[in-house]
Amino acid sequence: MRAKNSLYLFTVPALIVLAVFFVYPIYLTFDMSLTNFKGIGEAKDVGWRNYERIFTRSRYVDAVKITLIYTVLVVVLQNISALFFAAILHRMPLIRNFSRAALYTPAMMSFVVIGYVWQFLYSPINGGINVALRDLGLESFALNWLGDPNLALFAVAFVQIWMFTGFTAAIYLAGFAGLPSELEEAAILEGASSWQRFRYIEIPLLRPSITVAVMLTTIGTLRTFELPFILTRGGPDGATRVLSIEIIDNLFGQYKFGFASALSIVMLVLVLTVAFIQNKVLRDAEKVT
Amino acid sequence: MSMTDQTTTAPSARKKIDPNLVRKRARMIISHGLVLLLVFIMVMPLIYMVMMSFKTATEISQDPLGLPGSLYLDNYIRALSSMGYVRSVINSLGITISVIVLVVLIGSLAAYPLARIESRTSRIIVMIMALGLATPNFVTITPIYVIFRDLGLLDTYLGIVLAFTALKLPLAVFFYTGFIAALPREMEEAARLDGCSNLQIFWYVIRPLLTPVTATLALFVMLMVWNDFTYPLLLLTDKDKFTVMIAVYRFVGATGIDPTMLFPAAVLGSLPLLALFIVFQRRIVGGATAGAVK
Repeated sequence: MRAKNSLYLFTVPALIVLAVFFVYPIYLTFDMSLTNFKGIGEAKDVGWRNYERIFTRSRYVDAVKITLIYTVLVVVLQNISALFFAAILHRMPLIRNFSRAALYTPAMMSFVVIGYVWQFLYSPINGGINVALRDLGLESFALNWLGDPNLALFAVAFVQIWMFTGFTAAIYLAGFAGLPSELEEAAILEGASSWQRFRYIEIPLLRPSITVAVMLTTIGTLRTFELPFILTRGGPDGATRVLSIEIIDNLFGQYKFGFASALSIVMLVLVLTVAFIQNKVLRDAEKVT
Repeated sequence: MSMTDQTTTAPSARKKIDPNLVRKRARMIISHGLVLLLVFIMVMPLIYMVMMSFKTATEISQDPLGLPGSLYLDNYIRALSSMGYVRSVINSLGITISVIVLVVLIGSLAAYPLARIESRTSRIIVMIMALGLATPNFVTITPIYVIFRDLGLLDTYLGIVLAFTALKLPLAVFFYTGFIAALPREMEEAARLDGCSNLQIFWYVIRPLLTPVTATLALFVMLMVWNDFTYPLLLLTDKDKFTVMIAVYRFVGATGIDPTMLFPAAVLGSLPLLALFIVFQRRIVGGATAGAVK
């Protein structure tokens, strides 16, 4: 028994790292969020005033809304496109591994590279997309993708979906590989069409993979920072100003450490709430089928 | 995994060609071709990136989608000479290796008791690790910045190494715990009867078996150090300490997104990782999905 307890000493270094980099900072963030700390000097206690400000100024309410809209867009479309590719590649063993690796490649690359390449692709005059559209005679569709406040959020979301479709597809392909092959063979013998097999056999059996993929995409997207930061800096006109950009702006642009901390706590609560609800809803859905 | 396709199991001995079979074959070729075309469209932006990096400024403005006229290397030479590429590669490698050593040591050590003892203590520690895994780094970035500033860790290799180590440690603990839990216990018990201490058992019996997990983790750490943008952006300001991606980011930003500099810098920044990906493709994709499914 003593040997067992002394074995826990092995976890001490890891617990120290976790304490210094997660537990204490989360406490400190909350503590700072109740002050007007400016990075240096004395911090004055301001009570809940930072939070009051967040929920009464439309600018910050909008940041939360934009973050949520962006997340819903990315999570839904990325999972649909990933499921589409996984279902198709599951039926085509000859090109499966090659295609999986090719689709996965963008997810391997840096946001910096992807962000800059797409910034150029989207540029209105000689960016690749508008040039291609004009060459195809679709002049009227050659828009100012990142400069139009009505389009920018969708344009940024599109890049993120494109970048991570292959990653999510790989998760679904692993799910497909675990399906019992007898069931599929029986369905083929019974004359079930490809769509019928997808809809009535594969989708119900893939529920656990869907739960994992949707939750991973959601948590990753709620904290999204790099693509909107590189592509639009939160612009035009605040159209892509997600919560993380607001945090960095307050922190390093204006040195409002206290206020940035309050925004961080809002993000933490948002992530935990969404994860909790999603976990419950998706797990319940797994049980029903 | 079987590589045979149900539709290709045709009896080849038959003399007369079955029109049904021909139709089936044709449909199969067309559908495979369409899917490959779709995959090709998906990787088009990356092909575009490589093509653009070899074009002259006039080619870019006059024929934005065409192939480069020749293998024009001046862009690369100019980018290489002014972006501090070699220095940033060395920095990234050094940081990567340090983070791998720390994550592997601390992570595997912590995983051993968690995999072997089932108790409330273990469950609580696992919960703390899960907290680390779920916390977005924007929640902790403000205090970490303040702590680093007060300790003089801003703009130091030590600071960035510690920050990255903390970021990947929870994942390492989960990977190792799952792996060690599946190992048979006989060898440890024999070693214990022979009078080995816990640390000796860990070092001589457990540690040598962990190589597969360590290899996967090493790839993950490499990917993160190479690609992560937020931490080095906020914690490093000294040009000589930049990681590759911050070097690319600052360099392209300073040129005002000049395409003759942007694309070679993007290719140079991605090249080492792409080479790694081509070699270790299965392990990276497999490791990512295994980690996700757990």
